[in-house]
Amino acid sequence: MKLFGIVFAISVFAFGVVMMRIEINRSGRSIGKLQNEVEIKRARNQYLELEVIRLQSPQTVQQMAQEKLHLRPTPPQNVMVLED
Amino acid sequence: MFKQNNPFAYNAKTRMKICGLLCLLAPVCIGAQLFYMQTFRHDELVSKAERAIYNFLDEDRWRGKIYDTNGKFLAESVRTHSCGISKRYVKDKKKTLDFLAETLGLSRRNIERKWNRNRNFFFVAKKIKPDVYMEIQPILRTSLGQGLDLTPEYERVHPYGNSAIDILGAANSKNLGLSGIELMFNSELSQEISRRRAKRARRGELIYDRSLKEERSVGSVYLTIDILAQYYAEQALAKAVKDYEPERGIILVQQPQTGRILAAASYPRKDGQSLAFQFTYEPGSTFKTIAIASALDAGVVSINDPIDMSGRKWEIARGVVVRDNQHDKDELTIPEIMAVSSNIGAGKIALELGAKNLFYYITAFGFGTKTDINFNGESKGSVPSYTRWTVVDTATKGYGYGIALTPIQLIGAYSAIANGGYLMQPHLVDRIEYADGRVQKKAEVQRIRRVIKPETAQTMKKVLEHVVKEGSGKKAQIKGYSVAGKTGTAEKVSKEGGYAKRHHVVSFCGFTPIEDPRFTILVILDNPAKYTFGGTAAAPVFKEVAEGLLAMEAVAPDRPEELQPDTKKKKISQ
Repeated sequence: MKLFGIVFAISVFAFGVVMMRIEINRSGRSIGKLQNEVEIKRARNQYLELEVIRLQSPQTVQQMAQEKLHLRPTPPQNVMVLED
Repeated sequence: MFKQNNPFAYNAKTRMKICGLLCLLAPVCIGAQLFYMQTFRHDELVSKAERAIYNFLDEDRWRGKIYDTNGKFLAESVRTHSCGISKRYVKDKKKTLDFLAETLGLSRRNIERKWNRNRNFFFVAKKIKPDVYMEIQPILRTSLGQGLDLTPEYERVHPYGNSAIDILGAANSKNLGLSGIELMFNSELSQEISRRRAKRARRGELIYDRSLKEERSVGSVYLTIDILAQYYAEQALAKAVKDYEPERGIILVQQPQTGRILAAASYPRKDGQSLAFQFTYEPGSTFKTIAIASALDAGVVSINDPIDMSGRKWEIARGVVVRDNQHDKDELTIPEIMAVSSNIGAGKIALELGAKNLFYYITAFGFGTKTDINFNGESKGSVPSYTRWTVVDTATKGYGYGIALTPIQLIGAYSAIANGGYLMQPHLVDRIEYADGRVQKKAEVQRIRRVIKPETAQTMKKVLEHVVKEGSGKKAQIKGYSVAGKTGTAEKVSKEGGYAKRHHVVSFCGFTPIEDPRFTILVILDNPAKYTFGGTAAAPVFKEVAEGLLAMEAVAPDRPEELQPDTKKKKISQ
């Protein structure tokens, strides 16, 4: 009986360990999946930010100002700085 | 008695013992083997197990950003994926290829061609954007996606397109720098850290380990480059290239008071190959400024000394004759020599100064040595020792021949004149900021040495202003602003020996405004297809860039009297 008890306890412990490992792996998988999702969303966001920067770049601004608003760069002597 | 006489009782016990021992033997052996493995082969087996089970993921090698001086980012790593196919695992070839062709926007025939060319694994597409990735990723677990593989990698993106790409350089998909700033600061931008230990399951699925470490101490590099200044320089250079079709073109902009490089544009534009640091050339007349400033500083000539020009012909040595065809005077003062860009005048002044003194000043101005910017491939130019100079060598160096220099050296020398006589340490990188908050300052204002006296610098400013007002640099004039500079048109060394009459390097180097100089600008057009001069081709480019920069920094005109009265009124009424 005593031996049986020990074997039973060891079996329960081993089962617990196995279950824990399975659970860790399962969590690991879902963390991996979530991490990947975060990375992809971050990358998507980066591309959108890049697009914003591209649209704000001097080249795009000048091109759009010339094409759509018929503006051109002003000579430096026409620039006025208004002090506070 | 019964027990003793019963052989079965004895035998049963013995047998049980034997069975027990036999049963124990296996665990004991296992235990012994485990003890042996844990004690004597521990390190070897641990590393073997690590290699078998875990992956140290490359995709987690993060890379810092590169910013301009105002914090606008010029280069950043974005996570992308490569889509590959393992042919042997694909279940339905037709369906899979159709799906890929449609999702990746590729022609079916191209994918088919790759399929037939490769034995098993091949990449269908690289640098897949996140949106496409999200379309492919869910099907990986279906029969349609069997055999497909999405490998993470990084793409180095430049929001300003090719702008400053010659300075920035390139980084590969593994986030390692290959050229330019990316290579120079590779260890700061990308360290061997932030590697995550993870188990890899079937189909590349990742199972993150408990002991997941995430250290990110990569740095971000802040350049002294201003992306707007760079844009003005690149735009002006592109226009000059279109007009004059040179082999190469360079525009370099420096702050004379600090030595900071604001823009460095090169043509042709190649990743990490900035001609501003790598190109060497004989400067021609732009070097007269250096020779004359040296002579004035040494006191061997003064500003109004008349220099003999009789016959506009000077025989330096037997058989070596220099001619001036651009004027008809028999005497010229230094401002006039510079205004008409007289080779005779500059040569005579160089001889007056002497080889040793001229060499001393040339080296003091920083020619013949690298600038410590440490840009990859930076050249130091070529300044032969004065002990080997002949009289002809000394004279020709006075007007910029027999010496090879780099654009960064020449702009540094002009900045020294602009700032009152100090050679400044040029800077391309302002600082490095690490993720843990550390800041490594790189662009401290550093005066390398005083090259000329402040009085000489002041005199040279007037001389160079005269060049732009009355001389060869008229096309660099900017209404309302004082401009000082010098043109240069140098013949190139011919492959057959001597100088080629039809191959030139035209240039202009100057600064504005004169009293409080904000920008030193150097324009070089190497071997323009159309025959031209520094004053006609390079000076207008200087003007265009300078106008952009003055407007960018909102520099107030220092010559308001040059502005028309009605313009003034208009400004006030605004």
